[in-house]
Amino acid sequence: MDFKDYYAVLGVSESASADEIKKAYRKLARKYHPDVSKEENASDKFKDVGEAYEVLKDPEKRAEYDQLRKYGARDDGSFQPPPGWQSASGFSGGGYTEADASQFSEFFEQMFGGRGAGGFAGSGFGGGGFRQSMKMRGDDVHAKRSLSLEEAFHGCEQQVSFIVQEMDDRGRVVPRRKTLKVKIPAGVREGQNIRLKGQGAPGVGGGEPGDLFLEVELAPHPHFTVEGRDIVVTLPVAPWEAALGASVTVPTVGGKVNVKVPKGSTSGRKLRLKGKGLPGKHPGDEIVVLQVAMPEQHSSEAEKLYEQLAELEKNFNPRSKLHV
Amino acid sequence: MTRENQILTVEVTDSHGSTFSLREVCEHGDCHAEFVIKLVDYGIIDPVEDQAEARQWEFDTEALNRLQKAIRLQRDLKLNLPGLAVSLDLLDEVQDMRREVNRLNQRLRQLMGE
Repeated sequence: MDFKDYYAVLGVSESASADEIKKAYRKLARKYHPDVSKEENASDKFKDVGEAYEVLKDPEKRAEYDQLRKYGARDDGSFQPPPGWQSASGFSGGGYTEADASQFSEFFEQMFGGRGAGGFAGSGFGGGGFRQSMKMRGDDVHAKRSLSLEEAFHGCEQQVSFIVQEMDDRGRVVPRRKTLKVKIPAGVREGQNIRLKGQGAPGVGGGEPGDLFLEVELAPHPHFTVEGRDIVVTLPVAPWEAALGASVTVPTVGGKVNVKVPKGSTSGRKLRLKGKGLPGKHPGDEIVVLQVAMPEQHSSEAEKLYEQLAELEKNFNPRSKLHV
Repeated sequence: MTRENQILTVEVTDSHGSTFSLREVCEHGDCHAEFVIKLVDYGIIDPVEDQAEARQWEFDTEALNRLQKAIRLQRDLKLNLPGLAVSLDLLDEVQDMRREVNRLNQRLRQLMGE
């Protein structure tokens, strides 16, 4: 078991006052709150900070911890509690605060008897805290899933795995890995929450099971971007296609389609392909943005034609907006 | 030790969005109806349709998520209701802007032909 240096977690010295500890905790709790922070492992850091504060804010527990810190820590960072160690201020005899002790570390549990007395752990961060009633609804489980645009467009099957806490027949809380194959319907959007009723953590004592909420994220696509239900693509066209008009092949997520580029188009012109966006009750459109592309090299014949063109179009100033 | 179980296949039946009554959101959020009513009063969450009677309220998944977030923020950071309202609005704005920046970066890369 690893020793947890609660002072280091809160970034305070061993001699820090109760006020300094409170201040450090508040600052770090704000910084690492999983609903606020985008940092990796924010949820783990938040739990560590909560655990450290749970011990250091209480003068009795802090005194016990200081003793342990002095005698129990080994040089290699591992830790063994002294023989016969028992906390006098521990959590085991009730006395839960609002902190959810079931989320705390093995170290905390060994020191202060964290997961005692039938407290039912919530899944996910935060969870439920101590609950009195034995009949209760299972917790909701929230998960995120990144889909490719093609998967979101056509619908797909995704395997989702998560840990739920459930009670065994002896009333102990045991973790169980639950794996589901979820059939995701066509046309889900970024940020959409898919609800799977009754697929969260099981209820206790005949309580209903919680739900699973799957939040959809869309992975970046090399050619398409998504705006709401619309899909945007940049379509390169040759100068003569833009000038004369042409029928060109355009990619859509659902497959290739032929589109008429109107005569006299310029770069940035948008063409809307009705109903070629994300499918659904109100399907989106595909927005094609034209971009005039030049060949990298010209033959001498082409150069001669350009010279003729330059002569014919000499009144055209492409830089007129720049006043030059 | 973690127990494993067999894999189930489940189908999404409410892809057009399910709604929750006041009682149901309280169950999901493990909170009192008074708290939800206060959140609605502060405009922190909104029922799908504006009904005068709380008993007739229906909330969408987005509102339920916001409620659960509000409960966590209140519990963990001791925010009061006006604080919750400001924080949640700002968090939404940050999320929207992050998405917008990602989208624009992606568009830019595509335009530059990278």
